[in-house]
Amino acid sequence: MSRTDDLRPFGRSGGFHRVAFTGRASEYFGIWIVNVLLTIVTLGIYSAWAKVRRNRYFYGNTVLLGRAFEYHARGLQILVGRVIVLGGFLVLNLLAALLPFLVILPLIVVLVALPWLVARGLRFSARVTSYRNVRFDFVGGAGGAFKAVILGGLLAALSLGILAPLASRWMARYVGANLRYGNRSFDTDPKLGPLYKVWFLSVLLALVGLGLIAALAIANLPLLAALFEAPGILSPGERIPIVLAAIAGYAVLFATFGVVSQFYRAGVRNIVWSATTFDGRHRLASDLSRRRYVWIALSNVIVTIATLGLMRPWAAVRLARYTWEHTGVTFDGDVGEIFDTIRQEGSAIGAEFMDLEGIEFGF
Amino acid sequence: MVSDPAIVAAGEWHPPGSSRSQEARLVARDGKLVVLATQGGVPLAEAAPARLAISARVGSIPRRITFPDGSVFETRDNAGIDACLVAQGRRGAGVVHWLEQFRLRLAVIVLVAFVLGGAVYRWGVPALVEVAIWVTPPAVPQLMAKTTMETLDVTAFSPTALAGSRRREIEAGFARIAARSSRGAAAYTLNFCDGGLIGPNAFALPDGTLVVTDQLVEMAGTDTELIVAVLAHEIGHVELEHSLRQLYRAAGMAGLIMLIAGDIGVGVEDILAQGGGLLALSHSRSAEREADRRSVELMAAAGYDPAAIARFFALLEDRLGDRGGATILSTHPDTPERRKAVLDHARRVSEARGTAGP
Repeated sequence: MSRTDDLRPFGRSGGFHRVAFTGRASEYFGIWIVNVLLTIVTLGIYSAWAKVRRNRYFYGNTVLLGRAFEYHARGLQILVGRVIVLGGFLVLNLLAALLPFLVILPLIVVLVALPWLVARGLRFSARVTSYRNVRFDFVGGAGGAFKAVILGGLLAALSLGILAPLASRWMARYVGANLRYGNRSFDTDPKLGPLYKVWFLSVLLALVGLGLIAALAIANLPLLAALFEAPGILSPGERIPIVLAAIAGYAVLFATFGVVSQFYRAGVRNIVWSATTFDGRHRLASDLSRRRYVWIALSNVIVTIATLGLMRPWAAVRLARYTWEHTGVTFDGDVGEIFDTIRQEGSAIGAEFMDLEGIEFGF
Repeated sequence: MVSDPAIVAAGEWHPPGSSRSQEARLVARDGKLVVLATQGGVPLAEAAPARLAISARVGSIPRRITFPDGSVFETRDNAGIDACLVAQGRRGAGVVHWLEQFRLRLAVIVLVAFVLGGAVYRWGVPALVEVAIWVTPPAVPQLMAKTTMETLDVTAFSPTALAGSRRREIEAGFARIAARSSRGAAAYTLNFCDGGLIGPNAFALPDGTLVVTDQLVEMAGTDTELIVAVLAHEIGHVELEHSLRQLYRAAGMAGLIMLIAGDIGVGVEDILAQGGGLLALSHSRSAEREADRRSVELMAAAGYDPAAIARFFALLEDRLGDRGGATILSTHPDTPERRKAVLDHARRVSEARGTAGP
């Protein structure tokens, strides 16, 4: 009979399937340190190839239904893209520096070019990613990127963060609704209600951090007041507590920013992924514990610094494992039949070689 | 498996551009690599090894073998594929993978990476800074100075209120030391202005424009030599190209962090950037010390009291109650320490001139 009759991936039934991450810290350590070494030896040129090996390792260990994702970009391609973007940036700034009336030029070009670079970068990232021999693709344009990145970012900043959930929603919709896998599409529509709930909790966390800093300032109030009235009146010995308090306050500020941003990030990921569908009927899901995610991210930073970077591979694998193992897909129908019908659309393969890596946006 | 000695690896096979797959085996037969369906043994794809694209080995992620017809065989059997590559006289898993394995030799790689990274920081970045300064056209510092001056004129400064005779006294002293500078007197222009909120201050712009505020001149009283010493310090900043050097050093450090730490995580990268800021402050303090020493040398060469700038520090301590306490967050070293360093250097310079002079 014809060959195609045998082409069943496997007899797995539908339902919820979790993603697995099979990377190991000891294995990644070697890849990481060799990347670092070769990047130094080649004065940075190897960093493009280093990125390929790093991404191939992480994608290749992200496993759904027994099969891994694949990363297909090549070092030369990434290097050329970086040289073009960097060269354009340098020329632009040189022009602006030498011809004073062009001083505003870089700003205008960045405003116009940034959305285009974001769209290109997303398309590149999608097209160099495959699963089960079929590539992803991204069909969003510069207009959508302008709304999602620049307008969203501006609104969030101008409203002092109050409109940040709206910006998150625009960004999620831009990425989610324009993502393709073969001849099928993704879609997403996260609701503002849950996004604002996460945002509200994040604000509460930020207030706790700011409260700590205020407490530090109040504890040192007499000394601070003296400092403002007559700078230099304090002896070096009297200044030590103020300097210590300033450093502690700065550290708390930094940590607060880290905790709040990771907390919000995990919350938004859960909402966005869980509001995403594939081919209109298969549902994606993310169930990160926000507290655990913050703990992993924060302790990763501390451990990495305490070991002069040597534990960075462990930290990266740890975060990837936690994130992917709390991600899954609910398939509607027999998995074998679903993948039987997905085919590569012509444009995604090959066209990638004309793409710029642009601005990095991972999935 | 035992029945077929030529088997290379077991895996899954995809037709071109399809997510369909079926279990299959890769087999070496008649000098070709052939994919056979596990069930039924039907040949699915075949080609000479040289016409296959085999993905490079990274850790133990699956290998992908693309046939000329576009169909793909994927397997987790890395050892089988490597052995097959070696059998064809190719390099197997490759040198990079050999280096990457978690063996004792990795300790050597770690050590080399640390030493080289340290060397780049210690010598590479400073060397690049020197090269960058060397190739920078004079138009760049001029432009930097022009924009700074315009900003200051608009935001802080107003025209000087000093008497013309006082200005001429200072200008005469300034001409004496500027003539001793390695760049010659023509490289500098001296401006007086009312510093407003900035108060008693003097600073140099990278193109050789020096600014001294009325408030500083008034603070010095009748001591013209003191003002000239402060101006000599500013000439030192220009001669040693401190502002350009600081700019390039910051850029070099940012580049180094981005490159080496390419994959160090966003949080750690932010913290490294903060560390870079602290480092820049430490460089700023050493730049001040260098300029102090240059003031002593220029003053001595022009026949002034070499230690005249120490009187300025004494004045600062007196008038502003600045008793020091420089920390890692300060841009300048602490004043008593600077005064002591200047007096020491002045003694050395005088002794050297005493023995070498006429």
